[in-house]
Amino acid sequence: MSETVTLEPGGRRGRRATREPVDRHQALLEVKNLNVTFQRRGGRATRAVDGVSFSVKPGEVVGIVGESGSGKSVTSLAVMGLLPSRGVQVSGEALYRGRNLLTMGNQELSSLRGRDLAMVFQDPMSSLNPVIPVGLQVTEVLRRHEDLTRQQARDEAEDLLRRCGIPDPRRRLGEYPHQLSGGMRQRALIAIALACKPALLICDEPTTALDVTIQAQVLELLKELVSELGTAMVMITHDLGVVAGLCDFVNVMYAGRVVESADRRELFAHPRHRYTHGLLNSIPRLDSPRGEALRPIPGTPRDTIAWSKACAFAPRCQFADDDCVVDDLELAPLGAAGHRVRCVHPAPEEDK
Amino acid sequence: MTSSETVSGPAPSPPPAPGSDVLLSVRGLQVHFPIKRGLVFDRTVGHVRAVDGVDLDVRRGQTYGLVGESGCGKSTFGRGLLRLEEPTGGSVIFDGQDIRSLKPEALRLMRRRMQMVFQDPLASLDPRQSVQSLLSEPLTVHGLSTADAEEFGRDSSSSHLAKAAAMLEVVGLPRGALAKYPHEFSGGQRQRIGIARAMILNPDLVIADEPVSALDVSVQAQVINLLEHLQDLLGLTYIVIAHDLAVVRHISDVIGVMYLGRLVEEAPSDDLYAQPLHPYTIALMSAIPIPDPEIEDHRERILLRGDLPSPANPPSGCRFHTRCPYRQQTRCDTEEPVLRDLGAVAPGRRVACHYAEEILAGQIAISDPSLQIDPVAG
Amino acid sequence: MTAEPLSARPQALTDLMGDVGLDERGTSLWQGAFQRLRRNPSAIIGALIVLAFVLVAVFAPLIAPYEPAKSQWIDQVTPSTVPGHSAEHLLGLDPLGSDLFTQLVYGARQSLIIGIVSTAFGLAGGVILGTLAGGLGGWVDTLVMRLVDILLSIPSLLLAVSIAAMLGQRPSAIMIAIGAAQVPIFARLLRGSMLAQRNQDYVLASFSLGLRRRTIVMSHVLPNSLGPVIVQATLTLATAIIEVAALSYLGLGAPDPAVAEWGRMLVKAQDRLQSDPHLTLLPGICIAVTALGFTLLGESLREALDPKSRR
Repeated sequence: MSETVTLEPGGRRGRRATREPVDRHQALLEVKNLNVTFQRRGGRATRAVDGVSFSVKPGEVVGIVGESGSGKSVTSLAVMGLLPSRGVQVSGEALYRGRNLLTMGNQELSSLRGRDLAMVFQDPMSSLNPVIPVGLQVTEVLRRHEDLTRQQARDEAEDLLRRCGIPDPRRRLGEYPHQLSGGMRQRALIAIALACKPALLICDEPTTALDVTIQAQVLELLKELVSELGTAMVMITHDLGVVAGLCDFVNVMYAGRVVESADRRELFAHPRHRYTHGLLNSIPRLDSPRGEALRPIPGTPRDTIAWSKACAFAPRCQFADDDCVVDDLELAPLGAAGHRVRCVHPAPEEDK
Repeated sequence: MTSSETVSGPAPSPPPAPGSDVLLSVRGLQVHFPIKRGLVFDRTVGHVRAVDGVDLDVRRGQTYGLVGESGCGKSTFGRGLLRLEEPTGGSVIFDGQDIRSLKPEALRLMRRRMQMVFQDPLASLDPRQSVQSLLSEPLTVHGLSTADAEEFGRDSSSSHLAKAAAMLEVVGLPRGALAKYPHEFSGGQRQRIGIARAMILNPDLVIADEPVSALDVSVQAQVINLLEHLQDLLGLTYIVIAHDLAVVRHISDVIGVMYLGRLVEEAPSDDLYAQPLHPYTIALMSAIPIPDPEIEDHRERILLRGDLPSPANPPSGCRFHTRCPYRQQTRCDTEEPVLRDLGAVAPGRRVACHYAEEILAGQIAISDPSLQIDPVAG
Repeated sequence: MTAEPLSARPQALTDLMGDVGLDERGTSLWQGAFQRLRRNPSAIIGALIVLAFVLVAVFAPLIAPYEPAKSQWIDQVTPSTVPGHSAEHLLGLDPLGSDLFTQLVYGARQSLIIGIVSTAFGLAGGVILGTLAGGLGGWVDTLVMRLVDILLSIPSLLLAVSIAAMLGQRPSAIMIAIGAAQVPIFARLLRGSMLAQRNQDYVLASFSLGLRRRTIVMSHVLPNSLGPVIVQATLTLATAIIEVAALSYLGLGAPDPAVAEWGRMLVKAQDRLQSDPHLTLLPGICIAVTALGFTLLGESLREALDPKSRR
């Protein structure tokens, strides 16, 4: 670790410069074959994440899309080392600048969290401490990782809140989380996550609890962040609309595995996995001609088979047949470069 | 303090007569909640104007979609119609009868004809009741309708059971589900049970409050299709309340857009998407992500400044003027716009904006360019 | 169109899916709670203790070797010594000259009766007051809750002592006294629970279905609110047994001094604590173990009924 972290007293800019130069072409985070198994006392072991791999480059947004039970949130928690240690088994690698986050000691990890890695959660109310003013929660992070005086930290925090679109930031610094509206809270949370200009930001459904007009504001803010600071971002969501507008590369998860991964344009233009394809056909779109019936995917995300026996989506798939009963189906390249699909009967390319 | 001044401008058209094409007619509906403070005796120090003067008509067999963001009063409006929240002003005429003047017992019997589907299917079903009990309870209270009594027989408990099983089949659940309890189902199945219970009394009007927003994406379409199927099958009239404009647009014939307790725009579903007239609708529409990168990359997006003002103390003049990207120097902050017919400019549509015609004609541009995000080059 | 076209699913898949479909029998919340209880070791220990206690109480005449409270062997007891273990008397005699084992066995019976009757009395009173307050609301709520506040401001043992003193030395007095002291606790608990339930959507749904207010309160809100109250009742059984002992200790127990009752046995033996500690220890252990049993059971019940542990 000695070569990567050089703590140097001094101004923000000075410290920023000491961080490793950003190489926009090298992966900042590389997750390889991540597995997470939950084992409750007396219960059966359930595999929540099953061999997930993806990588993120600086200035890139990688989306992880899935429904409840797809393992998308567990993936992010595992990468951040935020899963409880009891009853959970994590294996695989999550390399951040070449160092494995999964095997890293607690102290080392928490010195990275907040400064290099940051996370934004879905529920801003429960992620903020209700009895501490918002301002203090921002300055706390700043002062923990950077050598700033109280006043400097305060000015910095004010600047952060303003840039996150919070009007009248000086007054807001002294307010408690419950005094802010939902959108404000989420922006405050993003401000905290951004406090130390993290190199990697993981957002877990950051806008799900927000109204669409507020969601648009927050997404705009995140886009700016990526393009201006070169932050690498992992975006976890169930909303294909959010993915379409924000992500560069998309991984679609189902029952703990990535079932399809592709460049954003490629994925939406030629969805090949039957799940992705079905999902895109089943959601009502604002711009679709009216009177067209939706074609829903039958069943629920609960109707699944273990991947070790067959395709987990087969019980809900209209194209499933006996060929789908294969153990550990491969995520194989298909069609355009970088497009990979885990399906026996992928949708034809022209059929959108 | 609560009434009188809210409905200004030309008087709305009188409510239609019974038996007419219009099933539900709402005039100037208000639901205000008192804000109480005090140590010993509660004093009313103000009102939250959750619903503050809404006029609308719902035609038989139609689906009226009500959209708006959280805090706009859309859910309270739905509950106000059934007097689950007691309205503080205005009138609700359902099939020629004034709901607000009904005595408690008459209201209770009337509720058979107006049913509700709730957002969270687990919370809206009593966890201790089996599906059979959930479905037969409304029948025990109101009895079978005449048509059902002919089909299933008059002997109550067995005919209730038969009707419950038949209803389950209609919503796509197996008969075996009767003996089960709500917590044993998935979200989508629970919502089917909630829908079956609302439909079992053969209501005329069903108010669905966020019927799919608590469900998984892949399950939402099933429930939307089910609602449409039941409408065709049973000849229902719907009011669908939701924050998701894409869902509302798909299912509705007419859409009303609410902002801060008021209806700001009403239009046939297709027209609203093709040409939103109210600045709020324009911004709302532009904020909704579309799952298509080609479109997302080339859309113009209008960002709204700040948050929703407090409904306890709405802004003067037009309620939207504090966030409006098209705000003008005159009238907007002083004079409250009326929900008015645009006549020949846009037939069949109503909008509450002083400058709707000018915005439509492109004579007024967005005042603050920073709010307008043009499609990014590249 | 809503029935999914899953019939076309290949057989191999259907076999693999196993229990995906709905089976015929449902599991109600109480059944589910019971299943969770059965898997909880501390619940099983608690239940075994309680079961043993109840069995001993019910079958006291079969278990005990002698008639209770007869003082047949009073001549063997001297001011300084009480006969200990012998062939006829397993645990020796008590200071009044009865067989100690017999007294302990019949003591279980007495404690159980008092515990159940007083808790039932407290529960009934509490449920009535709580339902009135939580179900009707408004001024009834205010009135009932102020009354409850007043009762709660008096320490419960003091309240029980005063009620027992007022009612005089009757066997029922002590039960009423202990039960009455529990009424405000149950009432407040139930009201709080009902208020939380009343805000649930299913209550609104019931109103929109046109159910009567009375039906909604009695057959939906009340049953859903009872969980915490039942847990509390189980825990109260434990405290009731201890309180009976405490009241007996203060001399407010049943009139007949020879009647077997653990608390009184404790009192009668306290001046012999130096010479014959087993005379106080044994009833003391009985009280402690029984109370522990009910507490374990109550706590596990609370866990089993906790909505967070549900699927």
